Amino acid sequence: MKAIELLGKGEEMNGRAYVKIDKSELEEAIKTLKENGYNHFVMLSCIDWLDDGEFELVYHLWSYEEREHVMLSVRVARDGESMPSMHELFPQIETYEREIHEMYGIKFEGNPRLTPFFLEGWRDMPPMRKDFDSRKFTKDVFGNISTIEEEEDEGI
Amino acid sequence: MRYEEWSGIARKASKRSLWMVHFCTGCGAIEMPPVMTSRYDMERFGIASMATPRQADVLLITGYLTVKTLKRVVQVYEQMQSPKYVIALGSCTMNGGMYWDSYNTIKRLDKYIPVDIYVAGCMPRPEGIMNAFLKLMKLIDEGKARGWERYKKYYERYKKNQEMAFNFVKKEEKEEEKNEGD
Repeated sequence: MKAIELLGKGEEMNGRAYVKIDKSELEEAIKTLKENGYNHFVMLSCIDWLDDGEFELVYHLWSYEEREHVMLSVRVARDGESMPSMHELFPQIETYEREIHEMYGIKFEGNPRLTPFFLEGWRDMPPMRKDFDSRKFTKDVFGNISTIEEEEDEGI
Repeated sequence: MRYEEWSGIARKASKRSLWMVHFCTGCGAIEMPPVMTSRYDMERFGIASMATPRQADVLLITGYLTVKTLKRVVQVYEQMQSPKYVIALGSCTMNGGMYWDSYNTIKRLDKYIPVDIYVAGCMPRPEGIMNAFLKLMKLIDEGKARGWERYKKYYERYKKNQEMAFNFVKKEEKEEEKNEGD
C-alpha cells in the first residue's frame, strides 16, 4: 500500500493501512500523507485502553486517487498527557479534538476552542472514559428524583 | 348555564380539533410521517400539526430526551396555553428504554412534566399512535386529561425535579456542603 511505503512502516489490516506512530512524528506523517494525495481527513477517534493506562487516538485519512484508507494510531498516557493539536493541517480536526476533549478529557495543546461542546453543565469526569461508572451516575442523579404522584381523593 | 356544563361542551368541541406540536428528537420521528400522511391520515380525526407551541393543544414527545433537550421541552411546554396535553411515545420516555443506564438521558418523563398518555413500544406502530390520540380524546371528553392542572398544582415539585436533573450535584460536593453546614 502506498501509505506504508510513504511512511516506511505500518501493516495492512482488512484492506486498510494501519500505522502505529509516535506522538512527535504525527504532524510530519499527516503532512507527508496530505502532500501525496491523502487529502480527505475522515475522522479522529479515541479508544480508552484502561488496562494499559493509555488512550489510543486514531487519525483516519483517505486518498481518492489511491482509494486507500490510512489509520494513524497514537498512544497517550491516561494521566493527563497532552497531545499537540493538528487543526492547522485540517481545520475540521479542531471540532474532533473538541469532542474528544469533552468526552475523554485529553488536552490538545494549541487548539483554540476547547470549550464545552455537547454536554451542558457537566460536572463529573468525562463520561466516555472506561472508569466512569454510568450506572452509578444514573442512580445518583436520576434515582434521587422522586415521582410526582397525584393524591387520590383530589382527582386531578 | 353553570361553568361545569359549559366546560363540558367546550371539551366536547375541542377534542375533535387537536393541534399537535411534535418534539421529535428521539427515533420516534420516523413513525410520524405515515401517521400524518395518507396511509393513516390522522387529519380525519381532526388532528393536525401546528408550527408553534403557543397555538397547540398536544405536545407529542417521541423517544428519549437528554438533559439538554429536556430544558427545551420544558420551555415549549410552558409556552403552550392551557388546556394542554402531553403524549409520550416509546419506552424511552417511560424508564429510559435501552438507554436506562446512560449518563445523559432523563429516563422517566413524568417526573419533569405531566404526561397524559404513554404509548408503549420501541417504537410504537402508527396504529398505536392513532389509538393514543383516540384515547386522549376520550379522556378529554370525560375531563380526565388533567395533566396541565397537575402541573399548576405541583409546580414547585416539578420545578424542583427539573432543577435536580439540570444541575446535578456530585456526591463529593454534596458531602462538602454537608460538612460546611455542620
